[in-house]
Amino acid sequence: MNKNTPFIAVCVALLVGLVLPLATGASAPGFYVEVLLGGLMAGVLYSLVALGFALIFKASGVFNFAQGAMVLFAALAVARLAERMPLWAAILVGIVIMTLLAWFIERLVLRPLVNQDPIALFMATLGVTFFLDGFGQTVWGSDIYKIELGMTKEPVLVLQNLFQGGILVNGEDFVAAIVAAALVGGLALFFQYTPTGRALRAVADDHQAAQSIGIPLNRMWVIVWAVAGVVALVAGVIWGSKLGVQFSLSQVALKALPVVILGGFTSVTGAIVGGLIIGVGEKMAEVFLGPVLVKAFDLAGGGIENWFAYVLALVFLLVRPQGLFGEKHIDRV
Amino acid sequence: MSAMENDRAGRIGGQILAVEGVSLAFGGVKALSDVSFDVREHEVRAIIGPNGAGKSSMLNVINGVYHPQKGTIRYQGREYHHMDPHEVAVSGIARTFQSLALFKGMSVLDNIMTGRNLRMRSNILLQALRIGPALREENEHREVVERIIDFLEIQAYRKTPVGRLPYGLQKRVDLARALAMEPKILLLDEPMAGMNIEEKQDMCRFILDVNDEFGTTIVLIEHDMSVVMDISDRVVVLDYGRKIGDGTPDEVRGNQAVIDAYLGVSH
Amino acid sequence: MAEAIDTFPRLLLHHAKARGGRPAIREKSLGIWQTTTWSEVLTEVRAIACGLAAEGFRRGMNLAIIGDNRPRLYWSTTAVQALGGVPVTLYQDAAAAEWVFVFQNTEIEFAIAENQEQVDKLLEICPQCPMLKHIYYDDGRGLRHYQQPELASFEKLQAAGRDYDRANPNFFQGEIDRGTATDVAAMFYTSGTTGNPKGVVHTHQSLLVAARMGAEWEKLGDQEEVLAYLPMAWIGQNIFSYAQAYVCGFCVSCPESAETVTVNMREIGPTYYFAPPRVFEALLTQITIRMEDAGWLKRTLYRYFMALAVRVGGRILDGESVAVADRVLYMLGNVFAYGPLRNALGMSRIKLAYTAGEAIGPDLFSFYRSIGVNLKQLYGSTETAVFVCVQPDHQVKADTVGPPVPGVELKLTAGGEVLIKSPGLFREYYKNPSATAEAKNAEGWFMTGDAGFIDKDGHLKIIDRAKDVGKLTDGTLFAPKYLENKLKFFPYIKEAVAFGDQRAAVCATVNIDMEAVGNWAEKRNLSYAGYVDLASRDEVYELIGDCIAKVNADIAAESEIAGSQIKRFLILHKQLEADDGELTRTGKVRRGHVGEKYAALIDALYGGKAMVHVEAQVRYEDGRTGSISADLKIRDAKTFPPAAAKKAA
Repeated sequence: MNKNTPFIAVCVALLVGLVLPLATGASAPGFYVEVLLGGLMAGVLYSLVALGFALIFKASGVFNFAQGAMVLFAALAVARLAERMPLWAAILVGIVIMTLLAWFIERLVLRPLVNQDPIALFMATLGVTFFLDGFGQTVWGSDIYKIELGMTKEPVLVLQNLFQGGILVNGEDFVAAIVAAALVGGLALFFQYTPTGRALRAVADDHQAAQSIGIPLNRMWVIVWAVAGVVALVAGVIWGSKLGVQFSLSQVALKALPVVILGGFTSVTGAIVGGLIIGVGEKMAEVFLGPVLVKAFDLAGGGIENWFAYVLALVFLLVRPQGLFGEKHIDRV
Repeated sequence: MSAMENDRAGRIGGQILAVEGVSLAFGGVKALSDVSFDVREHEVRAIIGPNGAGKSSMLNVINGVYHPQKGTIRYQGREYHHMDPHEVAVSGIARTFQSLALFKGMSVLDNIMTGRNLRMRSNILLQALRIGPALREENEHREVVERIIDFLEIQAYRKTPVGRLPYGLQKRVDLARALAMEPKILLLDEPMAGMNIEEKQDMCRFILDVNDEFGTTIVLIEHDMSVVMDISDRVVVLDYGRKIGDGTPDEVRGNQAVIDAYLGVSH
Repeated sequence: MAEAIDTFPRLLLHHAKARGGRPAIREKSLGIWQTTTWSEVLTEVRAIACGLAAEGFRRGMNLAIIGDNRPRLYWSTTAVQALGGVPVTLYQDAAAAEWVFVFQNTEIEFAIAENQEQVDKLLEICPQCPMLKHIYYDDGRGLRHYQQPELASFEKLQAAGRDYDRANPNFFQGEIDRGTATDVAAMFYTSGTTGNPKGVVHTHQSLLVAARMGAEWEKLGDQEEVLAYLPMAWIGQNIFSYAQAYVCGFCVSCPESAETVTVNMREIGPTYYFAPPRVFEALLTQITIRMEDAGWLKRTLYRYFMALAVRVGGRILDGESVAVADRVLYMLGNVFAYGPLRNALGMSRIKLAYTAGEAIGPDLFSFYRSIGVNLKQLYGSTETAVFVCVQPDHQVKADTVGPPVPGVELKLTAGGEVLIKSPGLFREYYKNPSATAEAKNAEGWFMTGDAGFIDKDGHLKIIDRAKDVGKLTDGTLFAPKYLENKLKFFPYIKEAVAFGDQRAAVCATVNIDMEAVGNWAEKRNLSYAGYVDLASRDEVYELIGDCIAKVNADIAAESEIAGSQIKRFLILHKQLEADDGELTRTGKVRRGHVGEKYAALIDALYGGKAMVHVEAQVRYEDGRTGSISADLKIRDAKTFPPAAAKKAA
């Protein structure tokens, strides 16, 4: 890893987060902080999806296009199950379902294709994506479903004495961010301090060496896909409770792609930081860059949120292909 | 110290592993043809030969990486046509690698702990919560690993990422990880390759100590004859995939075919 | 502090009673620090002592102890002392042959060795030392199949001891009661550069009084933590990690191995620490390298705060007044730089650190002081049980060793040699009355062989070995090593040789440090073709001339040697090499040889010429020889009148 990486990360964050709004003359600091927080909240969710993505890529070298579909599938499962049982039970059953799914994917897709070209595996995950999208609707239905986390959706005014007019914070967003942070922290501990975590790190470091000392690769793959499934489930539940569970969720999850490009494919830290940068960046761009475009070029000025992340990722591909925290050479599988 | 040598001879037991009539070919290229030899319990058994003699292929056959076209492997009385790497590891054969296969980004301690992976019994949920049996188990494994760390004198590097260690030490970590599996047979693939004299001497000492202290049977391949002769009980010599000599170091040294093979490739 | 208790075994009894539950010694075993309390130590020592007695060890016998710092070796030391025997610790990294003299000299029958390595060496010398009949080993690894009748494990020894103790319950206490303060407590063999090593005989009294003197001077208590990492055979190790631990009752930790010392330092966090200058230098080098690899932010912070530390850190430690803004910044630096740095060095908790043995570079010295490590110099030797001079807190200087510790008398001969009278003085050299008489005169003054003078603050300043100190024709003391060391503290100067004995003035030849001067030249876009070319550049002469001028300014401030400023110098056309006989194999300059070999150059220096032609045979690394011819410039150096020195510096 480049020793200047954190420095670059800070610069990028400052650029999208500070310079842009200041340059466009945002006057109210309270409003600015509000946008920043909103961006961070969205970013947390991007981070979660990207995290699942990075985990799988690191451990099995598979570019898992289906991560977004897994988010939708998990959210659908929880939403529909919650109609029949308490939410916590639905989530538990959801976790079981995601673990089973991981097992099936390993059995039916990864194992037969082991040692194939990466592109073959990628195509396979593309297949899994469409299968999950469709199969999810077959099993759970295709309406818009709600997940009620039982929290107030009313925004709360905070820091009234610090900023004029205070800042509007969505309580649900706040809890979501804490849940996401706890999940990431828990995963970090799991990877660092348990034998299975250690074995997973070993597999990620060197497949063949891991195999030769008797670490069962197949089992590790199931575990890592299951973990990615659980992460997808958490992302899906949070997101679903916010926007409703619907097909577009799988599209939103595609944002994970620019996130991992930004953060680096093999880096868990990169996924988290990348998610936050994209989240904040696109909110900032939407709010502060939009009006500038309107004023300067007489454009309509909308929809920046939809393309900003991809443009940023594109820039990164040109300047720093391995991403902020990635390894220089990506030659897995 | 003749008393010691007598004692060593007395420790060597019956046959633990036998390779019988093994032939291996890649396409038309014959890597091994009709090779047979056996390994006895507690001995240090060397396989030597010039480069390209088929030493590594032999190790890979025992290790289950290659499947021979002909021949059988008898291990602890059971006969196998070929073995599977995972199965081999489970059944008590560990190996080190000539081109190191360590987890470069992980610490020395973590690397060696992965060697205990096969012996971990507690399930993933208990591990995750770090409670009861899982914690106790982890501590037991740690103790075994600490003994090995102490034994191989790498205490100073527990927390160092392996990738940052010099080559000689990486080799030692590789040996430590293999030892952590508490193997019955330890396969060493050119353990002294790329080392300076001092490192070679250290490694020889460690190999003998391992053999002595843990009673581990050791099969090692090496192309540097001089090193091997000092530490081996018996030596197999391969040349162009055939066995051309087998016996004690002294017998092998006097074997005309062996002398020719080594002179032929100007060693 | 236990005043009246006058032998090591009695101190052990005292601590076992007074602080039996407190840690006495620690050892890291299988990755976990295992602590032994004072009362447990007593049990162990008792078993060892009784075991040795059961095996035939008697009062007055000598016993060899060989190995790294291990608790059992320390316990054995006390056990032997309890029996009225004399522990002789030997350097564990010496070759077996080097021990033969000591074993024969002391007629040792018993030895305690750490491990297989040491046992092998002992077995090797057995034929030459037929007296050696008992060898006990601490770590049995690799020894399982040894059949030698001399060998036994430590466990066996202690088991035998416990049996003996049961049969003779009053034996142990009785033996301790028989001991007196003037009994011999230990012998330390000093490696003579010529001839056989000499056994320096110390009594309980000399070691304990010296240890107590040092401990009281520094107010050490039983809360100190010490890491025992230097060879046990060295008297300093005995004083810092054994005698003072027994005097104060503090805890000593043994590192896992020589390689783990840095890591163990961090884990233990010693409060009291000794290291020779080379260790401090190695640590600093590690830090510097790590900082060069660090990220931009870290590097910048480090540079900024180190510059601040150099400016004010030392003064804050010395209790001087410092501007409030600097003080606040220094506190900030403590959070971001100095604290983490001390932590990385394992020096977070250090109250007191000593260095001694050789001159320490002023930059190196002030680096540690500037980050808040209370590093001080001390002066002493094996014969004086270490403590002769110690710098008091707030009076610390890089180039003195401080005033004599209370209780020590010090005087200087006309030739500048330092003489010492101290309660810590050794009794004699073992079985070597002539050497004893040479070193200790009739009035009991010990002749240190070091030359020095007392500066205006009453600090002793050591300048050289007395036999190397000469005089200029006007009678000024001339200490070549002192001048050369001062020069060598500049990074640009690799070697320097000063001449002046029986001459009117001092002249010097200098070797530049190729790397440092090369870098310096690169930064100035100065191109050069190899060493000879670079060494002859006018710019380089100026650079070196500045260094010499600074040294001269320093020396001008010291009235005793102000006249020995360097008048003229030249830069040699080649590095001094051991292969050419100019250096010893350990890298020390052979002044006499250099003087002869370059006689023509030295004549030119004194002859007032501006240029001298040399032609020299050189031996290349591949063994070929060739010749270099060059014209060497000779320059005058700036000198200072003694009074004006302060201003110029």
